[in-house]
Amino acid sequence: MANPKIFLIVLALSIATGCAVTHKDKDYTKFNAASPRSILIVPVVNRSVEVTAPDYFLTTTPIPVAERGYYVFPVNLVKRVLEDDGLSDADLVHNAPTSKLCELFGADAVLYIIIERWDAQYLVLSTIVTVELTYIIKDGKTGETLWEERAIMTYEPQSTNTGSLLGDLIAAAVTAAVEKAKPNYIPLAREANKKALKYPGSGFPPGPYYEEPSGR
Amino acid sequence: MQDLRIILIFLVLVTFTLPACAQNLYVWNNYDNTLYEYYKNPTERAKFIEALEETILKAEESGRVPPGIYAEYGYAQYEEGNFTEAVAYFQKEYDKWPESRILMAKMIRNAKFLSERARESLPPEDNKSEE
Repeated sequence: MANPKIFLIVLALSIATGCAVTHKDKDYTKFNAASPRSILIVPVVNRSVEVTAPDYFLTTTPIPVAERGYYVFPVNLVKRVLEDDGLSDADLVHNAPTSKLCELFGADAVLYIIIERWDAQYLVLSTIVTVELTYIIKDGKTGETLWEERAIMTYEPQSTNTGSLLGDLIAAAVTAAVEKAKPNYIPLAREANKKALKYPGSGFPPGPYYEEPSGR
Repeated sequence: MQDLRIILIFLVLVTFTLPACAQNLYVWNNYDNTLYEYYKNPTERAKFIEALEETILKAEESGRVPPGIYAEYGYAQYEEGNFTEAVAYFQKEYDKWPESRILMAKMIRNAKFLSERARESLPPEDNKSEE
């Protein structure tokens, strides 16, 4: 009898204590010692087959990092400047010494992102869209890893319930066809960022421009 | 009854704590979508530049201009060959964000260099511009 009550109280408390149910704590010793003010987000390495994925994904990255309180270098400018310097291949950028990159841009740290998966599995009646990303922040002076995280998100569009089996099948087929034509990865990518950057939780601590959310 | 009350408390807590998670330091005005649309349709540069300009105007109203936006707009002008405009916006980024200064100093130097060169390559008597 008491069980559901206790469950609800615990649930309410866990939500009330913060945005996230606290994960096993990460070790932020190195991160805090380096305490970067600025983060350089470099072009994204692609291990999926979708050629447009790295550029599209890049556009989702500056806002969450800047909102965490860091100076984020303009991602498009950075990408173009690197291209002009002969580093149009993201793999080359990721393999270059972190300290060199930071010197070039005057950055304290670099955020490297690798797209592990960015695909849609087309089943007969539905589509499963998956994005999987690895995030690594390295220190601009030592090149040491200050933080890393991997996030995977999947999305399966829900078929509409028409009340008849045949109707459901047709609706599902239509949904699959629509998703097939143009699966939308961006909202899913944003969710992956949210999940990876969540703090307290899997993310990294706030930077110098962070302000406690006021009851705006 | 007891259960109902607990559920009510639960709902109240959820509604009041969740909005606190979504906080905005800056006015972005869909900057991410702007950039996404530009990467999707690279020929629509004019739209991209216009959207960046709009973001700057909106953000300046409340003084919450995001990091990198002045520089991004300056770079768009740089690519258009509007070097004076580019320098002005690189300078704004430089003034607002100390973290940007090494990069912005380089960008300003480049823009000034290219602007000089553009001026020198135009012989003074050949003034009929092709606009």
